[in-house]
Amino acid sequence: MASNLEQIANWIRRRDLQSVYEAGAGHVGGEMSVIDILTALYFRILSVNPEQPQDPDRDRLVLSKGHTANALYVVLAKRGFIPQDEISTFLKPMSRLNGHPNRTKVPGIETNTGPLGHGLPVAVGMAKAAKLDKAAWRTFVITGDGEMQEGSNWEAIMAAAQFGLDNLTLIIDHNRLQQGARLLDTNNLAPFAPKLEAFGWAVEEIDGHDMDAICAALSSETVVKGKPKCVVAHTNKGQGISFMSDNVAWHHKVPDSVQYEQAMKELEGTAS
Amino acid sequence: MSGSLHLGDFTSAANVYGAGGMPRYYGDALVASAASDPRVVALGADLSAPTETDVIRDAMPDRFFMVGIQEANLIGVASGMAKMGDIPFANSFSVFLTRRCYDQIAMQVAYPKANVKLAGFLPGLSTLLGVSHQAIDDIALMRALPNMTIIEPGGPDQIVPAVKAAIEIDGPVYLRLQRADRPLQKDQTLPPFELGKAQTLKDGADVAIVASGLMIGQARQAATKLSKRGISTAVVNLHTIKPLDRNAITQWARRCQLIVTAENHSIIGGLGSAVAEVLAEENAGARLVRVGLKDRFAEGGSLPYLLQKYRMSADAIVEAVVEAS
Repeated sequence: MASNLEQIANWIRRRDLQSVYEAGAGHVGGEMSVIDILTALYFRILSVNPEQPQDPDRDRLVLSKGHTANALYVVLAKRGFIPQDEISTFLKPMSRLNGHPNRTKVPGIETNTGPLGHGLPVAVGMAKAAKLDKAAWRTFVITGDGEMQEGSNWEAIMAAAQFGLDNLTLIIDHNRLQQGARLLDTNNLAPFAPKLEAFGWAVEEIDGHDMDAICAALSSETVVKGKPKCVVAHTNKGQGISFMSDNVAWHHKVPDSVQYEQAMKELEGTAS
Repeated sequence: MSGSLHLGDFTSAANVYGAGGMPRYYGDALVASAASDPRVVALGADLSAPTETDVIRDAMPDRFFMVGIQEANLIGVASGMAKMGDIPFANSFSVFLTRRCYDQIAMQVAYPKANVKLAGFLPGLSTLLGVSHQAIDDIALMRALPNMTIIEPGGPDQIVPAVKAAIEIDGPVYLRLQRADRPLQKDQTLPPFELGKAQTLKDGADVAIVASGLMIGQARQAATKLSKRGISTAVVNLHTIKPLDRNAITQWARRCQLIVTAENHSIIGGLGSAVAEVLAEENAGARLVRVGLKDRFAEGGSLPYLLQKYRMSADAIVEAVVEAS
């Protein structure tokens, strides 16, 4: 079941890498860490329709770590929200594929993000609105682990528990690295699970690169009634590319031609 | 030193004056709007009574949501609800609602044109509680944001048309609101206004005082005093600070030799600055004097005391006009 998703994720990794290489900018490390989660969401979990991106009954995804927008663009293209040809316009003049996602420009984008700590409060509002309408759709939000240092997230965590938002799922992309250093050496919030549990959330910890585990944790069958859910996804920044993996230098570094060839070769080697 | 010293900031005015004895223009307008429009909801960050949201909380508990003391999340939640089709009113004191969460307002409300209404209370010097609670730069902050409409009603009774106008706008609105602290006298009431159109409250040929919010009262008193001295003085209620009625300002500047702006705010970035920009760009000719807080923080104190001390009272406006004439 998961192998198909793994193939899609592999394609998305290669297309993302190519895009960052050609644009000469991007956040390749964090993109590699979140791509498996995005793939599972868009190709298995989310109820969304590329033909009707504004369908009121759709599930919502907020990518709060907005700097990894290019991964989301590639996923949206692969899923049919935007033409695949358009990916090559990333960061180019007149393109709607900017460095951070814009909901007023790109179909499938739910929220403008970029400044960290914005997505979770907005997702709480979306989930609250769904409760108000007695609607069945779910809201998912992906934050970076370093991003959890922003206090606004903890405001939202309190409010979500108080509101009993069991239609809200927070996925923390826990790759242990932030822009300039390890979390451990910066402001170490880990472990996340006991903190979220203490705030009244249902928490599950998974391998964020194991498709079966991701799909199981995000399935509606695992929702705990009356509680918002947090999935702590243990990931690697730069996953799939040996010299980028778990290496803080690759937050927004761009590969040179030799590195690009090697990275692409490694990814092709794992494509089936 | 005259004026009320009661700590109404943290209480519902009804509690001070007795239930039913005090008009709660905002609270009632919100309930009326929510009753007629199912999209309207209210969000609170504590401070229910001083933002009059206890009215909707008690009347329509399924349309009021308390997030707690957390303004950044308040704005995020409001944005999320707006994106799902609701019309959330986010309520707090102006100073917290604008300064503490400016990044969230910029990125989650203004930039995506989210249909969020920001309702801020305790404008400018209208609080005893001192600098921490005095919003003296909120208009400047909101005015700098693209897509933002700014409305400051000329008096508490104009809150009703302000709420109505805010709902009719499909996009972000900042309402700068001052609650009635006592029942309005007949000469304090104002007719409803039309959004974006400066409202002439008194005609005049020599001087035009362009004011907003509680400075309307000072401007009207000043105009009466000036007229007695033979200086024909107009009073213009510039309730919509953005988008600005440039045409009206230009016409007043062509007609009168002196324009005085009167604002309960810093003279930097607010009404005075907005009018100055128009006068300069239109080369309209009139002199300009800005009455307001002159690039400094104030302090805690009663409103009459602070207006007098910081040269923002009716008498100070009269003196400013005489000096400039």
